[in-house]
Amino acid sequence: MQAASRPKLDEITDAEFERFKEYFYRKTGIQFEDSKRYFVDKRLLQRIHSTGHDSFRSYFTTMRYQASGEELQELINIMTVNETYFFREEYQFECMVENTLNEIMRCKKPGEEIRIWSIPSSSGEEPYSIAIYLLEHWAGIDKIDIEIVSSDIDSKMLDRCRRGIYSMRSVHHLPKKLLKRYFTPVAGNSYKICQDLLDSVSFTQVNLSDAAKTRSYRNYDLIFCRNLLIYFDDASRRQAAEVFYDAMNPGGFIFLGHSESMSRISSLFKVRKFAKAMVYQKPLA
Amino acid sequence: MGLKKGRKPDIQPVEKQSRSAGRNFEGLKQQLLSTNPSERRWAARDLAIHPEAVEPLLQALSSEAEHSVGIAIFDSLRQIGGEAVVNGLLTFLSAEDAFQRNAAIEVLQAMPEGVALHIIELLNDRDSDVRIFAIDILQQLAHPQTPEWLLSVLKDETHINVIATAVDRLAEVGTSDMLPALKALKLRFPNEPYLDFAVQTAIRRIGED
Repeated sequence: MQAASRPKLDEITDAEFERFKEYFYRKTGIQFEDSKRYFVDKRLLQRIHSTGHDSFRSYFTTMRYQASGEELQELINIMTVNETYFFREEYQFECMVENTLNEIMRCKKPGEEIRIWSIPSSSGEEPYSIAIYLLEHWAGIDKIDIEIVSSDIDSKMLDRCRRGIYSMRSVHHLPKKLLKRYFTPVAGNSYKICQDLLDSVSFTQVNLSDAAKTRSYRNYDLIFCRNLLIYFDDASRRQAAEVFYDAMNPGGFIFLGHSESMSRISSLFKVRKFAKAMVYQKPLA
Repeated sequence: MGLKKGRKPDIQPVEKQSRSAGRNFEGLKQQLLSTNPSERRWAARDLAIHPEAVEPLLQALSSEAEHSVGIAIFDSLRQIGGEAVVNGLLTFLSAEDAFQRNAAIEVLQAMPEGVALHIIELLNDRDSDVRIFAIDILQQLAHPQTPEWLLSVLKDETHINVIATAVDRLAEVGTSDMLPALKALKLRFPNEPYLDFAVQTAIRRIGED
């Protein structure tokens, strides 16, 4: 623990940064470029001070061998500050309409539908982005029914999703014509999503760690689970992978966040590299 | 055709099809032997809440050919945890099947206290591969004695691959009091360039701290 008279550590050396970077990458798959140095150092020092350590080495060793993994999780949380907005990581939606949906479509029999699960809903930008993308960019939508279900553990977030009111910041990546087509300006410099889209996504509350609740989620062809698993510990990640596997149809695809890798979590899925994105597929039976 | 609107999500009821039958311990144990992989997988998952399922799960693992069922079995064993799981999984370190070996290592890494009781024995196993797997377990094992165990490998081990694996791990967790043992390796193995490189890296890393 830090002695009262010792000066407060205020610098992370190059070697320490490299060491931390390598370890963090191995544990999470997140790679920090040198341009992120200031961001990483600041947060590392914050955790070193908060936990009462007086050196990087002492902090790093404690974290490395902490059985509970709590401190690593703290670090993950502060190193992965998250924000969501419409069309975030758009290349994945492009991959959805250019590759995965067409593959799925080829396996469908007449009368069958395509089912998409977006989890976590967060404030709803992702499931509504999927809906907009399908309407705007996938010709196959005229030939088959698509059901979009979106889930979150937080009931307040689900209420926000159902209200469908978004700040300027949330919609700033949307092309103007789409903003005009699907949103109406409302008070407070905000935008309300149109009723058609509100009706196109069903929201449900679910906790991925609740085996009893999640087992009723079945027959999905696409799952979007982006930037969630990074907040889970190893065991919970594996359990989530099990849930997704059982929730999917054979041949179904799962999209994770750009810094997440299913291969590091479970060998249940096959890696599929498409032109614009890497996706994970449940093997065909 | 198009986006479906204004309806309740089609969430399948849980109590449906054969999975709803016999979801107690005895029923699930029987279903582990089913010819249907999906039924075996669900049985394996559901047995995670039954501590008495360790033995049937380990038995099923020995003969399970379906990858997704094997994963569910390992995951349930991980959730159950405890001495019986550790003892059972240690035998899989010598398995021919690479998936079983690696999955066993991963589960054991998550059980530091249980594995700690066996580390010395594993580091002294007659099979050098098992000794390397023991070091693989140490790589991620969150146990305060890990550096000490690795140091014992430097001092007592004779197999070059096992030593090199330990040096590699020490590059990350070693402390300055281990430098003499690392330097001694260079004298013991003067004609092993790979080991020399690994030792130099570890010494440099430790020195940076």
